[in-house]
Amino acid sequence: MDDLLAEFVAETREMLAALSGEIVAWEADPADRSRLDTIFRFVHTVKGNCGFFDFPKLEALSHAAEDALSDVRAGRRVPDRQLVDTVLAVIDRIGVMIEEIEGGQPASESNDEMLIAALKGELEDADIQLANSGSARNSFSASEQRTIRLPVELIDQVMSGVSEMVLARNDIARRLQMRGIETGIEAPFSRLSALITEVRDAITRTRMRRIEGLFATFPRLVRDLSAELGKQVFIEIESGEVELDREMIELIRDPLLHIIRNAVDHGIEAPAERRAAAKREAGILTVSARQTGNTIHIGIMDDGRGIDCDRLAQKAMDAGLITAERAAEMTRAEKIDLIFEPGLSTAHRVTSISGRGVGMDVVRSNIEKFGGSLEIESFPGEGTRFLICVPLTLSILPSLTVEARGQTFAIPRSYVEEIVSTAGGQLEFAQIGDRRYVSFRGRRLPCISLGRALGLEDTESDASLFVILRLGWGDLYALEVERIFDHQELVIKPLSPGIMQSGLFVGCTQLDDGTPVLVLDVTAIGHDAGIPRELHRPAVIGGSATVERAEHEGLRVILFRSLCGERRAIAMSAVEQVERASSTAIRNPGPDAQVVLGDQILPLLGVPGEAELPERFTVLRLSDGGEPISYAAREVIDISMLTSELKPVKGRSAIAGVALIDGETAELVDCHALFASHAPQRPQTRPLTCRLVGDDAWLRSFLGPIIEAAGYRIVDGAEPADIAFVDGPDGLRTEGDARRAIRLCDQPPGDDPDSIYRYDRSGLMAALARAGEELAA
Amino acid sequence: MNGKLLLIMLAGRRAVLPAAEVNSVIELSEVTPVPRTPPHIAGLSALRSRPLTIVDCAAALGLTATEPDWRRQRAVVVEYEGHLYGLLVDAADDIIDALDDPRPLGADPGAEWEAAALGRVETKAGALLLLDVGALITGPLQASAA
Repeated sequence: MDDLLAEFVAETREMLAALSGEIVAWEADPADRSRLDTIFRFVHTVKGNCGFFDFPKLEALSHAAEDALSDVRAGRRVPDRQLVDTVLAVIDRIGVMIEEIEGGQPASESNDEMLIAALKGELEDADIQLANSGSARNSFSASEQRTIRLPVELIDQVMSGVSEMVLARNDIARRLQMRGIETGIEAPFSRLSALITEVRDAITRTRMRRIEGLFATFPRLVRDLSAELGKQVFIEIESGEVELDREMIELIRDPLLHIIRNAVDHGIEAPAERRAAAKREAGILTVSARQTGNTIHIGIMDDGRGIDCDRLAQKAMDAGLITAERAAEMTRAEKIDLIFEPGLSTAHRVTSISGRGVGMDVVRSNIEKFGGSLEIESFPGEGTRFLICVPLTLSILPSLTVEARGQTFAIPRSYVEEIVSTAGGQLEFAQIGDRRYVSFRGRRLPCISLGRALGLEDTESDASLFVILRLGWGDLYALEVERIFDHQELVIKPLSPGIMQSGLFVGCTQLDDGTPVLVLDVTAIGHDAGIPRELHRPAVIGGSATVERAEHEGLRVILFRSLCGERRAIAMSAVEQVERASSTAIRNPGPDAQVVLGDQILPLLGVPGEAELPERFTVLRLSDGGEPISYAAREVIDISMLTSELKPVKGRSAIAGVALIDGETAELVDCHALFASHAPQRPQTRPLTCRLVGDDAWLRSFLGPIIEAAGYRIVDGAEPADIAFVDGPDGLRTEGDARRAIRLCDQPPGDDPDSIYRYDRSGLMAALARAGEELAA
Repeated sequence: MNGKLLLIMLAGRRAVLPAAEVNSVIELSEVTPVPRTPPHIAGLSALRSRPLTIVDCAAALGLTATEPDWRRQRAVVVEYEGHLYGLLVDAADDIIDALDDPRPLGADPGAEWEAAALGRVETKAGALLLLDVGALITGPLQASAA
């Protein structure tokens, strides 16, 4: 039975029970006005509630009773014996109907018409006592689950009582264990223990409610909204059997309503606009809920116009949030994320429905407050999808307990991606300025020491464990702790404002022995320790967005100033460590310079032959997984993203091109060229080799990766090559020992059938494949 | 005011708290320090299954900079705005009757005490300073910020 109906049945039955005394009193004294009013209110309420459901018989009956009683109240009618009897019969009959409704049975046949006629005073026959009104009651018992309504405080009280029982049980268990001898109470104790667990589970379930109850209010909302806006919107609801903590349902109500209002108001177009876009006139709004483990995913999807990301970007520019340059560089996904910037709303005009000043930033922060997340995907012309993820319950949180500086803390398990340890020795670290990075599955994750983040005393310890945490937006960071204890299901209690004001904790919990343990807000700790959230927002997932991402994804780079003073950038993934060295550590300044770092001698690049070397300088230690090399820099400027187009530069070896980074030009160091030319040669199982002859930077940064991706190896210098790519006319001389040559030209094809236009990618690949086949044959 | 008062010792002075607001007086067995909190929040303990925020009253008044010693002190348990607090005092032994309503302080009792004082109240033990539970919990930082 759905929740609303159950509510109706429960409420009506409650009123009936309360009414039984009143009826008897009214029967004794029909002139008693206050009794009359009570009965009138009852039939009035039942009639009103019937409007929400399809119970025509019940409605007709209660309506007639309301009319009759209203006449009595107005003094138009005297409550005679017959009327009193009829009203009593009607009330009994309502009781029977409620039982039938609860049992899911069709309304039984009865002489309702006679009752209604009697109420109207049309029936002279006074004998209207209905035989079936009393007897029917028994036949519908216990067919449906019996329900009672309880105040939430009572449930909370029971819940906290049970929590204390669990603590007391754990205490006894520990004491029993400490005795270590047979006490004879082990068996009854373990039985008691199991019972307590059972009771706790049962009481936890009482806090759960179907999310349906919340969703059931949406159709009406959408109907009213769309009528007001002159739109047609169908709502589809899929809630399945999803149950959620009742408090959580209250918490997500407002964010959901806000998103739905937005979708109807701004997302779904007016019918004419939809027709023009070859869509059905009526928009479709889908609200769905799914449970995955301990998380509930709620999706709200419309088939409207999608978010106008350019207008968002324009507004952000107008508001001074971003620069025009930045806007030009931003991907669609990044622009959509601007919706979360405080004070930006895409609507042209403020309507009564949305745009009342509550922005998506507030919606998201409200959802994040209780451990949820909100993501948006939007495709122009196709619609927008909001995905809210919330934990199943607020009160019991699966947690990981860890230790930092001798103190225990709990981390909500939903954030924990993995635990890695330095014990195996496989972890690689990079130190960039004061920030340490750890390599994890091919990504460099910033490390945050929990002890330091909390400002705890810095005791000497060999921290060796990292909890990899996944934040709401898919960002990862590594939290450094000293010990990891256990996974536990912990009951979360709210903290006092004095403790909450640091913002680093979400609550507290108690361990088995009653010790309070603080539960960390890992998002806040990440932000607090200086992990900026913008950098970490992932691109939109799935669909047509992937194409866009492939084209626009930025390259994370370290910006630095070279020894000669140029602003340069290098791919962060190539940098293993940033160190300081003194000029005395350099041997043989110039293109073949070397530097002593620790106990290693590494090739050092970026050292000009003649220039005067500073006394101390920065060394970027680079690694491609094999032998490291190093690059000299005057100083590290920043870490940034390379998102703009790379312009090739001529005549600079080992520079892939120049790009705008943070509004200034920077040369991107061509790591590939560095390693290709300086890493020691390794024994190879010889794939076919290619030589790039001609415009070095273009060939290496543009063509090189394609050729490599196709499985060829690029060679330099005197090494024999199987295939030569010859760019420009001078290649005629230098193709040298290559067994095949592919000639490139910088004009679209036409005059020279033997060369391939340098941007004709498929032509190039075909020629390469052909050459490869010929060589293999 | 003819209510009961809890007589406490705090930083070498006697003072009283309204007994109606006091749940109990306990000795603490364990206090978990809480990082990054205002100085007057001494830590977190638990009273049965409820969290108990420990407030160092002397620090809340801005009287001392020394570490509170909760092992030797008593905690006066109060409920304030839905949360349980343990107010650390040096002693809390007696309940005494207020002989009349609290009166204005008169002469300045010292800026620190004044910040958390509700007034002066006459008792059998003489005139005593009546402290405001809320002001102790809020502490000096917020009070000055507000």
